[in-house]
Amino acid sequence: MSPFRRGFKGMLPIVPGIIPFGAVMGTVSADAHLSFFQTVSMNFLVFAGASQLAAIDLMNQQAAVIVVVATGLIINLRFLLYSAAMSPIVQQESFIKKFITAYCVTDQSYAVMISEQDHFKSNHEAIQFYLGSCLCMVIVWQSSVIAGFIFGNFAPKSLSLDYAIPLSFVALLMPTLKNSKYVIVAIFSAVASLLLQQMPFKTGLIATAILGICLALFLTRKKAAK
Amino acid sequence: MIPQGYYWLNIALLAVGTIVIRGSIIALSARVKISDRLKELFTFIPAAILPAFIAPAVFFHQGEVSWMMGKERVVVLILAAILCWVTRSTLATVGFGLLALYLFTNF
Repeated sequence: MSPFRRGFKGMLPIVPGIIPFGAVMGTVSADAHLSFFQTVSMNFLVFAGASQLAAIDLMNQQAAVIVVVATGLIINLRFLLYSAAMSPIVQQESFIKKFITAYCVTDQSYAVMISEQDHFKSNHEAIQFYLGSCLCMVIVWQSSVIAGFIFGNFAPKSLSLDYAIPLSFVALLMPTLKNSKYVIVAIFSAVASLLLQQMPFKTGLIATAILGICLALFLTRKKAAK
Repeated sequence: MIPQGYYWLNIALLAVGTIVIRGSIIALSARVKISDRLKELFTFIPAAILPAFIAPAVFFHQGEVSWMMGKERVVVLILAAILCWVTRSTLATVGFGLLALYLFTNF
């Protein structure tokens, strides 16, 4: 089997985790009265679910542009790690392949690459595998968002679809709480966000994120000093 | 309703910023390494920012279930969080949460 097809198949076990999140994305877009074109365009242009969900939530509340963008980019900062991991593999490839590789950097594509990284004979094979997995990711993500968008337009109003946003964030958050330090930062962030809620244009969100990262800096520094 | 110009400005800036994050190291060099300290800090980003979306959205929401003092969204969220901790499933968490809220508010 070609590396591209292996990559496509390698993504399939992760698909059950992508579909509900994509469906929420589409449903929430419909709930926010976005058009089909706006929803699909955002999916192609940004292609980063958590930041898109955050952006819709903030735009619904008319947050300042700087807050919407900065929050989304803070959420997407983790892509730097994945990009650094992909960089040595893709250096000999064409500009187009480099661009597609960068564009397709997601949690899922990175996870599939990491699980297979010892089985590649060459960088070229690794890239083919990666692109195959990314194609699967794009198809599943876009389809599930579109399905969610259609559902969101027909769902009864008594189903509080806006509530899917905090629920999805819970599903994203929980697996990242690896030990007590993460739990402390999460609780701190929750309390700080409540206290800073009155700051104008939702700037309390950025302030909370910065304070949370500072706390993480402090907690992990203490560990290093021991 | 989200105003058109406001929407597209946000999406354009977010799209450009995100592709810059995704592509910067690939464009720069194969030799760029991120320190372990920074890697560890990055793993704290979800814990630092996601609760800031979750907490105000449910805590300040004035609901309609009187025996829960209008705080049914907080109750359902705690139950959904416990379910998520056990199942690690997005589908179960979101599905249960929406259904439970619907049942609480409609029956």
